[in-house]
Amino acid sequence: MAPSIYEIRSLEHSYGDKTVVTIEHLAVQPGSILGVIGPNGSGKSSLLRLLGLIERPTRGKILFNGRKVEPFSDEARFLITLLPQEPFLMKRSVFNNVSYGLKLRGNGKDNTARVSEALAWVGLSSREFARRPWYALSGGEAQRVALAARLALKPKVLLLDEPTASVDAASAQLIKEAALRARQQWGATLIVASHDWQWLYEICDEILHLFKGRIFGTGRETIIFGPWQKFGREKWGKILSDKQQLQTPAPPNQEAAAVINVLSVSEDGAATSEEDIVLSGTVSRLSLEGKTGQLFATVLVGDLPFTVGLTLQQKQAQSIFPGKVIFIHYSLDRIKWI
Amino acid sequence: MDFILEGFFQAFDLLASGNAEAYSAIWATVKVSSYSIGCSLLIGIPLGFFLGYFDFRGKKPLRTVVDTLMALPTVFIGLLVYAFVTQRGPLGNFGLLFTLPGIAIGQTILALPIVIGLSATAVESMDEKLRIAIMSMGANRRQLFISSLWEARHGLLAGAIAAYGRVMTEVGISMMVGGNIKWHTRTITTAIALETNKGQFGLGVALGLVLLAIAFCVNISVSFLRRRV
Repeated sequence: MAPSIYEIRSLEHSYGDKTVVTIEHLAVQPGSILGVIGPNGSGKSSLLRLLGLIERPTRGKILFNGRKVEPFSDEARFLITLLPQEPFLMKRSVFNNVSYGLKLRGNGKDNTARVSEALAWVGLSSREFARRPWYALSGGEAQRVALAARLALKPKVLLLDEPTASVDAASAQLIKEAALRARQQWGATLIVASHDWQWLYEICDEILHLFKGRIFGTGRETIIFGPWQKFGREKWGKILSDKQQLQTPAPPNQEAAAVINVLSVSEDGAATSEEDIVLSGTVSRLSLEGKTGQLFATVLVGDLPFTVGLTLQQKQAQSIFPGKVIFIHYSLDRIKWI
Repeated sequence: MDFILEGFFQAFDLLASGNAEAYSAIWATVKVSSYSIGCSLLIGIPLGFFLGYFDFRGKKPLRTVVDTLMALPTVFIGLLVYAFVTQRGPLGNFGLLFTLPGIAIGQTILALPIVIGLSATAVESMDEKLRIAIMSMGANRRQLFISSLWEARHGLLAGAIAAYGRVMTEVGISMMVGGNIKWHTRTITTAIALETNKGQFGLGVALGLVLLAIAFCVNISVSFLRRRV
């Protein structure tokens, strides 16, 4: 295995009293695509800003190619670039925005070809857009120009913070294709934070699920927030919007969140063991994991989405499809509390 | 009212005929205000950037002090500078009393809080996303500083114009430190004050018009510059 391009050790980052990222260890392989998913406020953007050397961690260290790096580190600042969630263009023309990073690197003379190429990657014609001022662009165009400015640098690491969150479907598709080009053409490492987990599962080599700044699981888990109710003498859980009872072990406190990993789905709902909890739901989506070729079903139980991998038989039978009512199975002793 | 109208006609006559006394005052004003605005921008913009960009203990009280100093009375600055550069003062050996550099020092003190305060406001109003955008492209500290200043250029220009206006139109410092010496330290504003006292409205109005013309030219140049950049 190649040495990690990034390694995080005992990282902690806080804003005032609030700790937003706590990661004991994380290694990222060069040329890989790492997806970061998690609810709003889970620390995705903060993690990307730390990896992008925009902010200095409160504690711990980030190694890049084996060397400790921090904001303005000469050994990394020309190799890493971050596309923030909201595009921000400087008060200059599209051409000058895209060529800005090249000028910082001392390529001040003739960037026309490089700028045109980068604009073409994001589906913008240099002839039409290069001279436009920053204020004469739509939101989607501004986001694509911002991405072109990063791609023009041909970075070793491209960090994308929800790159398709505020753009229309056509722009989102162009942004996704352009981002993947970075890996295909010059082997860039991509780290992408997004709520579009279906896209992430298609393209990523690895996915991190962040919650309250901590990594847990692979993103297939469902997080269920309190408050919790007691059913009878020992049972705990909550009543879902379709009146089904979701059972859990006793929560450590009312604010704790339960992480449920669904074990399997079935069409008949027959429990396979005593610990097996069965709930009925409707298949809302099927998705294919690019790396493994495994098919996943998202099942809505009440209004909670659960994601579970289908077995080979289920995949071959093609009997599970969106809109079908099926059953999810989970076990109480595999529920984690966070 | 006739004498005001007469003054206007006399003004055009003086300027058209190249009146040496009027042109001496104009030259002194342009020279001294250029010195002082140059110095205050050179010192004030980095200090304003520091004040607006960074968070540090005592920032708010410091900001209040700077804002208060923006309203410094010119006669008070004149008095202070006079006390320092007079023969008996700590800077007496430099021979700055009744010289244009002496006036320029006073006017720099006048303009400095305006440049610092308005630069800090311009920098403070910059979007946090700008810093992230610049750093994410690989800028070092110096490039971050220069690019941030460039992005705040419209606000900085507004501060520079406000300071230039204050410097051009002040009387107190020029009168007290410069001494209003004919052919030497007489500026447009001190000349207007003197000529009005003497009842010579023509020269006074002429110089007043020149002052307006300079202000007009500066503003036209700045708005042209703003459109270009």
